[in-house]
Amino acid sequence: MTRKHVLDGVKVIDFSHYVAGPHCTRLMAEAGADVIKIEALHGDSSRHLPVMKNDRSGYYIQHNRGKRCLGLDLRTQEAQDICHSLIKDADVVIENFTPGVMAKYNMDWAALSKVNPDLVMCSISCLGQEGPLARFPGFDYIGQAYSGVMGMTGQADGPPALSGMAFGDISTGAHAYGAIVSALFHKANGGGGQYLDMSLLDCLFSYHEMNVQVYDASGGALVPKRSGHQHSFVAPLGLFKCGDRYLIIVAIGPQWVNLCKLLGKEEWIDDPRFADPVIRNENRDEISEAIEGWLATIGDPDKAVKILVEDNHVPAAPVLDVPEVMEHPHMVQRGIVQTIDDPKFGKVKIPASPMRFSEFPEPLNLQASGIGEHNAQILMDQLGYSAEKVAELTGAGVIGSKDT
Amino acid sequence: MTKKMLDDFTVVDFTHVLAGPHCTKMLAEHGAEVIKIEPTGGEMIRVFPTLKEGRSAHFVQHNIGKKTVAIDITTPEGQKICHELVKQADVVVENFAPGVMKKHNLDWDTLRQLKPDLVMCSISCFGQTGPLSHLPGFDYIGQAYAGIIDLNGERGRPPVFGEYAFGDLSTSTHAYAAILTALIHRMNGGGGQYLDICLMEVLFSYHEMNVQLFDTTDGEFVCERSGPSHPLFAPIGIYTCKGRYIFIIGLGHSWDSLMKVIGREDMLSDPRLADVSGRGKHTDEINAAIEAWLDTIEDVETAVAILQEKRIPAAPILTIPQVMELEHTKERGMVRTVSDPVFGTVKIPRTPMRFSQFPDSPDLQAGMLGQYNHEVLRERLGYDEQQINELENTGVIGSKNI
Repeated sequence: MTRKHVLDGVKVIDFSHYVAGPHCTRLMAEAGADVIKIEALHGDSSRHLPVMKNDRSGYYIQHNRGKRCLGLDLRTQEAQDICHSLIKDADVVIENFTPGVMAKYNMDWAALSKVNPDLVMCSISCLGQEGPLARFPGFDYIGQAYSGVMGMTGQADGPPALSGMAFGDISTGAHAYGAIVSALFHKANGGGGQYLDMSLLDCLFSYHEMNVQVYDASGGALVPKRSGHQHSFVAPLGLFKCGDRYLIIVAIGPQWVNLCKLLGKEEWIDDPRFADPVIRNENRDEISEAIEGWLATIGDPDKAVKILVEDNHVPAAPVLDVPEVMEHPHMVQRGIVQTIDDPKFGKVKIPASPMRFSEFPEPLNLQASGIGEHNAQILMDQLGYSAEKVAELTGAGVIGSKDT
Repeated sequence: MTKKMLDDFTVVDFTHVLAGPHCTKMLAEHGAEVIKIEPTGGEMIRVFPTLKEGRSAHFVQHNIGKKTVAIDITTPEGQKICHELVKQADVVVENFAPGVMKKHNLDWDTLRQLKPDLVMCSISCFGQTGPLSHLPGFDYIGQAYAGIIDLNGERGRPPVFGEYAFGDLSTSTHAYAAILTALIHRMNGGGGQYLDICLMEVLFSYHEMNVQLFDTTDGEFVCERSGPSHPLFAPIGIYTCKGRYIFIIGLGHSWDSLMKVIGREDMLSDPRLADVSGRGKHTDEINAAIEAWLDTIEDVETAVAILQEKRIPAAPILTIPQVMELEHTKERGMVRTVSDPVFGTVKIPRTPMRFSQFPDSPDLQAGMLGQYNHEVLRERLGYDEQQINELENTGVIGSKNI
C-alpha cells in the first residue's frame, strides 16, 4: 500500500486554539495525520481574526487546514463521553488551554491515560504546567518578556521593541510537533504512551544560543544587553545603511579576510587588534566606519549585496519587507508562499510548511473546515452513533455547527 | 533498564556552528549515538566566547553528548572513513553551504548508494535549490531575507535585530522533527529519504498573519515595524513603569478588566473603542491611560502582580540574569548546569522538550576535538593501532585538548 505521507495512519484529537497548538496540528495534518479538531460551539477565537471575508477568517484558514471539525460543549457529560470514545482509538491528544482547564473537563493526562494507556498527550502553554507563573494567562509576547528575548531586542538606549510576528507561538508549535513524533517513535518501539509539557517560555529561552552561558561562565562580568543594530559580543555583525535600504553583514568566520580585502584594509588581516570576532568587537567602530565608507561609495544596495556576497563570499543580505519576500525569485522558485483556495474565502496566500521530505515533494491539498462541519461524519462513521442520536445531541446543544 | 527514545540509533553529524549542532544535540539527548565529524582544526564556534584555556563554552552548550572525531574530509582516506561510518548509520545531518558535501563525495546521491534506507537532513540558510541557495548564510541573513528584521524596531527608525539565534535554533528543531518523522515513515516500511530544511523558510513561517493580510487586502496592508506597540491591535505593547518595562495585553475579556483596574471604565462605553480594530486606531490614547496608571504604581513587580491577579496577561521584561533568578525558572529547571572538564560547570538553557517518561535531562559532556578518534575507528570500523597512527601522522585525523 502506498503511504500518502510520513504520518499516514496517525490519529490526532486536537483541543487547541489560536496559534501555538493549531500550528502543531497543522504540521501534523500536512504530514498526513488524521486530525479531528474539537471546538466549543462558538468556535476557536481565531475564527474572528483578520482578514475577514464572507464571515470567514484568513487567519483561521492559515493555521487549520486539513483538520476535520467537531463542535461540542465540553461542559456536558455527553460531550466528554464523545471525546473519550475518540481518544480511546487515537494516538495523540494536543491542547493549549491555560493549565487546569483540561482537568475541569475530565480531559487531563490523569484521566486520559486511563482511557488510553498508549496515548501521547501534549500540552502547550505559555509558562508550563507547574511553577508559580503557570496559572496566569499567557500569549506569545508574555513568553517573550519572561524569557529575556524581548529585553534583548531594541536600541541600546531605548525601550525594547516587539517583533511583528508570532515566532514564539509558531516555533513552540514546531517543538511540540518534534516532541510528539519522538514520543510516537518511542511508542512504536514498545515504550508506551507519555505526557509532554511544552511551553513558549522553555522554547524562547532555548534561543539564547550564548547569552546564558556567557553570563554564567564570565562569572557575571558579561551581562547580555540589547544593542540595536550591532551585535554585543562579536564583530562585524550588524545592520548598515546603503542608499535607502539596510543591509545585514556577518563576517565573523573565514570571510573576514575577504571583507578586509574588499575594504582595502589588508593590513587588518594580521593585526592582533582584529585577530578573532571577539577581539574585533573591541574595535568595532573602526570596522563599522570602514564598512559604511565603502557602502557610501557604492550607493546602490543591490549592487553592494552582489559585490559582497556573489563576488567576495561575505555573508550579507538586504533587509526585505514581507511583500518583497513574497515576490523574491528565490522564494517563488522554492514555493515558500503557498496559495490556498478556500471554498468561502477564495484564494489566500500563506507561508508553506518548512519541512520538505524527498518522498513527498508536493504538499497535500488541504482545506480548513467550519465549526462542527464533520459532527455527523465523525459520530456516525467513527463512533457508530445513529442519525437520531446525532439529531438529539444537536437539539440538546451538546454538539453544534456553524458555517464560518 | 529503560530504553531511551533513540537508543540504538546512530547519527553521523557533519554540522558546525548552530543550526546543525543544536539538532544533533537534541538527537543525542534523546539517546542516539552521535558521531560528530569536525575538521582537524576544529569547527568555527570552538573560538567563540566564553573561552577558558582554549575551550569554548559556546561549543559546550551545543555539542554535549556527541562523540567528536576530527577528520580531514578533503582527503580520500577521510572520505573513506566517513563512508564506512555512514554505512552503519541511520541518520546523516549536515549544514554546509549547498555543494560542499558533493565536493567531498558525501552528498545524498552518493550516500544513498551506500545506505539505501538512510535519512539524510541538510540544513542551510536558503535551501538546496533556488537562486540564493549557493550563497553563504547565517541566522541574521535568513532573518533579513524572511522579512523578520524589517519588523523589529521603532517606526521611522532603523531596524534592529534580537540578540539570540532563534533562526538557527528553531530551524534545528524543525530539522529534528523532520528527521523523527522520516524515521517513523521508515519504520512503517517507507524507506529512507532526504530532508531539505532551511532557515529562510522556517523564519518565513513565523509570519502568523502578515502574509495573508498583505495578500487578502490586495496589498493595502503592509506590516511595518511599530516599536513598543502592536501595529494593528490595542492595547498590546511595552509600557514604562518607574524606569523599567512591562508588557501588557488587553484583548477580549482582559480589555474590560484592564480598564477597571486602571480606573478608566469610561473607555468601556466609548463607541470608538468598542472593538479590537477600533481600539487599534486609538493606540496612543489608550497607551497614555495605561501609562498614567503605571505612574501611580510602586514598581514593575507590583503592577504585574495586580494585573495577573485580574487575569490580565502581563509580564515584566526581564534581562538574562533576572530570568535565571526567577522562582518559576528555578522550579521548572529551565536553566541547567552541565559539567565540563575545563570549565567545571556551565549553565545553559534546558532543551525545551519535556517527556513524562524521561523527566531528567541526561548528564552529557561535550567532546574535546577528536577525543573519540581512536574509539570510533577501532570499535566501530575495526581499524588497528597502526592504521590509526598512520592516519594521524598523515594529518587525515587529528586531536587537540580544546
